Amino acid sequence: MTTSMSTHTTPSGYLLPSIHSMPPFFTQQPNPATQATVTENWTRLILSYARHRRLFYLRVEDAETKGSEWDEVLRNERINRRLMPSHMSFIMADMVSKNLAVYEPPRQTRTVLLHWRLPEEWAEVLHEWASSTAQLNTILTFYEIIEPPVPSPLSGIPATLLRRAVAILTKTNRAQVIAVADGEGVRFLPGNPAR
Amino acid sequence: MGNGPSAPKITKQDRAILDLKLQRDKVRQYQKKIQEVLNREHDIAKQQLAAGNKDRALLTLRKRKYQEGLLAKTDAQLENLDKLVSTIEFSLIEVSVLHGLQQGNEVLKQIHKEMNVEAVEKLLEETAEAREYQREIDEMLSNTLSVEEEEAVQSELQALRDEVLAPEDASRRAQELPSVPATAPAAPEQEQEPEPERPTEREERERVPVAA
Repeated sequence: MTTSMSTHTTPSGYLLPSIHSMPPFFTQQPNPATQATVTENWTRLILSYARHRRLFYLRVEDAETKGSEWDEVLRNERINRRLMPSHMSFIMADMVSKNLAVYEPPRQTRTVLLHWRLPEEWAEVLHEWASSTAQLNTILTFYEIIEPPVPSPLSGIPATLLRRAVAILTKTNRAQVIAVADGEGVRFLPGNPAR
Repeated sequence: MGNGPSAPKITKQDRAILDLKLQRDKVRQYQKKIQEVLNREHDIAKQQLAAGNKDRALLTLRKRKYQEGLLAKTDAQLENLDKLVSTIEFSLIEVSVLHGLQQGNEVLKQIHKEMNVEAVEKLLEETAEAREYQREIDEMLSNTLSVEEEEAVQSELQALRDEVLAPEDASRRAQELPSVPATAPAAPEQEQEPEPERPTEREERERVPVAA
């Protein structure tokens, strides 16, 4: 069986690790220690694939039906295996417990927002982008950050994640939220690096 | 911590800019929506035509035309909003430039206050006085030397000069030597003999390399 294990490059250009072509990897293991390894590998795979494709959400539904953007990872037609929804729920719960994902919206367990960058890291990326594009001291709308006219490292970031990152920056005086009747905006300030 | 003291105050202008930008975002979103509708209606018209419903297709296309008109109108509005935002932001920069100029002017005034003409004149006068004083001191010092000391200084200078100029004198003496002999009559003959030889030797030396 080990001889059939090999890496595989998907149509989207992602290099799947050799463990992905090992059938037991897709099955929930009865032994907790073995399952811990499996979960750890799935977590790493999911986060790295999400970063590759800039995917922010993972849903149990993605494991239930074919045709989602996660097919390349959650299914392996070459060995006729797929990740079962119950197994994926288990992995998602583990990721949430390790702050590598959060249930979004809260109070449900079907969808998670993936933290392939922690909110703290997003805060740094955000501030770096603002200063490198000379937008410090300028008032920006959230929409403008999420859907900028020119693609940026923040294009398509979920609003909740953006809000969390902005909140982290406000704590260190590197951002200021401005609210008016119609909505909210943010102003990034030069500030001194955190702490 | 929250908003520390270093966070700038939110002014009315800030709110106005934000309001404008939010409006601009709304127009952009609206445009996106219309674009979606346009694409969809194009598909619908195609389907209707394929199904043989010419009237329906025509209706859809009319609707589509109307939406296109809307899109063009919003483009103009978006341009207006963008222009206004740019103008406000530019005016803010102008204000800060003016502020900078004002401050620079203040500093320059302050510096001029410290550097008025009388002070400069006084300073120059004092400098001239100081220079005069220094000259007096120099004179006094040179006058304090006694006659013997002055002689000693002079002889030291002579000794130094001898030392420096000695080699020159020696060479001069060596040049003078040839002119001295005049009493020995045999000397001219001896001198005449070697002189003709030298040219021939030189000619031979020159010829040898040519012949080889």
